[in-house]
Amino acid sequence: MSSSSSSKRRSILPPVSNSGPQAPVNASSSAKVSDNSILTGTHSITIQSESVVHPRARLESTSGSVLVGRRCIIHERTHIGSTDGDETSGGVVLGDYVTVEAGAVIKAGGTEIGGDTVVGVKARIGNGAKVGKNCTITPLSVVKPGETIPDFTVIYSNGRRRTDKRGVTELQHRVQARHVEVLKRLIPNNPAKRQAAAG
Amino acid sequence: MAPLTPYTYIQCPCSDTSFSPSGAPTSDDKTEPEDDDRTFDPRAPRANYSLYPLEYLLYCEDCHQIRCPRCVNEEIVTYYCPSCLFEVPSSNLKTEGNRCTRSCFQCPICIGPLVVTSLEAPPEPTLLAADNTAQPTGPYVLTCSYCNWSSTEIGIQFDKPNGIYQQLAKMSNGGKPRLTAKEFRERSRKEKEGDPESPSSPLTNSDVDAELQFSQLKAFYQSQLNETNPQAAAGLGSLADLGISSPGSLSRIMSMYTGAGHGASHKQSRGRLPVMREARTLDEGFQEADLDDSALIEKLRASAFEDTASTDQRLAQQPSLPSHHPLLFVDDLRPIPYLLRTKRSKRCPVCRHIISKPESKISNPRFRIRLIAGSYIPTITVRPFHAPESHNVPSGLRPPVPAELWLAPHRASQYVLTFQNPIFEPVKVTLAAPAATPGRFASTVTVLCPQFDISANTDMWDDALKEEGEVQLQLQRRRAGEDGGPAQPEPGKIWERGRNWVSIVVEVVPASLRLDGLPPGPGGEEPDRSPLKEDEDVLEIPMFVRVEWEADTRDDVGSSTTTRDNKEAREKRELAYWCVLGLGRIARG
Repeated sequence: MSSSSSSKRRSILPPVSNSGPQAPVNASSSAKVSDNSILTGTHSITIQSESVVHPRARLESTSGSVLVGRRCIIHERTHIGSTDGDETSGGVVLGDYVTVEAGAVIKAGGTEIGGDTVVGVKARIGNGAKVGKNCTITPLSVVKPGETIPDFTVIYSNGRRRTDKRGVTELQHRVQARHVEVLKRLIPNNPAKRQAAAG
Repeated sequence: MAPLTPYTYIQCPCSDTSFSPSGAPTSDDKTEPEDDDRTFDPRAPRANYSLYPLEYLLYCEDCHQIRCPRCVNEEIVTYYCPSCLFEVPSSNLKTEGNRCTRSCFQCPICIGPLVVTSLEAPPEPTLLAADNTAQPTGPYVLTCSYCNWSSTEIGIQFDKPNGIYQQLAKMSNGGKPRLTAKEFRERSRKEKEGDPESPSSPLTNSDVDAELQFSQLKAFYQSQLNETNPQAAAGLGSLADLGISSPGSLSRIMSMYTGAGHGASHKQSRGRLPVMREARTLDEGFQEADLDDSALIEKLRASAFEDTASTDQRLAQQPSLPSHHPLLFVDDLRPIPYLLRTKRSKRCPVCRHIISKPESKISNPRFRIRLIAGSYIPTITVRPFHAPESHNVPSGLRPPVPAELWLAPHRASQYVLTFQNPIFEPVKVTLAAPAATPGRFASTVTVLCPQFDISANTDMWDDALKEEGEVQLQLQRRRAGEDGGPAQPEPGKIWERGRNWVSIVVEVVPASLRLDGLPPGPGGEEPDRSPLKEDEDVLEIPMFVRVEWEADTRDDVGSSTTTRDNKEAREKRELAYWCVLGLGRIARG
């Protein structure tokens, strides 16, 4: 009977591994950065106005500064500025209206993501890749290190590419703005707490 | 190469009749052993088509026989669209084809589902509520949410958000309306009359697409037939809606071949030879072949590789595309209406009884009748005898990766076969396996206990209720082992027994895969020393399983007087089949 108690299913949230130094964060007052997001590294992390960082998103500035543009949405379990122990230098720049969906990894090393681009669920962007504006990286797609992706590219179905000709940028901006609006109400944050933790 | 996890496949008896022993010369039937003595060879090429996992097999209750997906007869219960799950009556199928005619489309680029969206932006939520109620107005487009394709790329927009199929049928790529046969006739009539209202440009080849041309040709030749031979025309006309199931069409075909009615009309027509004219003009469906491909070549030159359609994309297209030239470019592709799916019932090929019948409602995944073999014949599972003790793995963690399952040549290894009885009668199982496996590398096989009884399947809770007794039994076995070290399997004895299962031990000595060690053939000839073929290193044991049990006799309807007498009468049943136990791969060297 003793074994039955040990095999009982426990569902607890795994602890946030908050290793590494707290990064110098420069977040706009209108940005919403969750308390449970992980911002580590030595270089600066800048989050511009009206961007949203979900809980458990990890922004790392070990090898270079991280810049998140305006009205970006960074979902949970993403890893932006990941180094994986590589000796890379350079940070990550996300343009305006960028969405990084859950579990996506953007490696550091002068990586750039253009405005209005969507990085899908569990997609991987290699270090130093330059993704253009209005691109769509569909879930589980991979962008190789150092690759340059032209504007309006859709990467889908194991690396096939096509050009997005919908021309709905304006519409997407409006949708993104509303999305940010809703998230800001839903995600709790307490800037004072983070300040205290950093100090 | 990855080691195999042990498996069990069962041979469906349907392949028995066409079974011919491979390897042995088939010229002389007299030297062939009796049918029953023949060992099933799992390596024969035919075996691939008769071996199935137990889960794939059905069972006919009336013939008391296993039925596989290859031998059952299928009947279509319903047709439905996999996207909107609407049932399509089979009468619609004949007129409208096998695709969904509602608004279900697949993306021509990535075959993802397309959604209808409005090009106009939805009203701002910040506006007043009265404005918010306004529905988005057209134009509408089909968009793919995966690859971001949109029908604007092929120049197609819709006025209404519903009935997309019908709207799309009236449009060619680029948004130009497609002429229907009626409209075409109308226009050509106006043209001939010199109607000033007629459109400025005369009708050309490009106005007539393949579908329209076909209907025009059909109409033209129909009229020709009517003029020359009304009887034959009637025959041909009814051939159009020829259905295989209709008995009328069958008799017509028969009369064609026997020449009863047809011969008479033939004789009659011989007097005046029917003169049939071929189509000559555009409205009769005649089109000059356009041999000038320069425009196409020019377009191909100007376009990049991404602008051309891939083979997959072309194959996914609907076959009757309104296009003049072969489909080459991405902008020739059209949204693909979903192909309909079917739900099928299965019948026994011998007695025609239904052995599987799904619920006819689409949204209901249940079956009305489903006689799966797993509830009639014992489940056989194989595991290595010296398997590492399976630990109590906490949920959330993965079970440990099993150790390498390679079989060492020339070293005896033991496997535990567990037979689980699904029926509510005790069964008697007899096993037979050849002493050496067929094939070039003959491993020796010993079934330690080829005959045993399995008790009846009972309520599953009996196990729990009887737990203490069971535990006692288990303890006894373990204790017996403790006396003389670890428990050893003994010949002629079963290894373990449970409520409705029995485990026995099979001992194998895998053969060496060395080609130079092959024994010479029976006539002393040189053995086949060709290199190892694919999967030749897999140790597979053919095993003949015979299951016997006693069941209540089926009392026939209306014989109520005899049932009382028959109540005591028990019928002896038996089922015998070949199965194949795959144990693992033999290590090289």
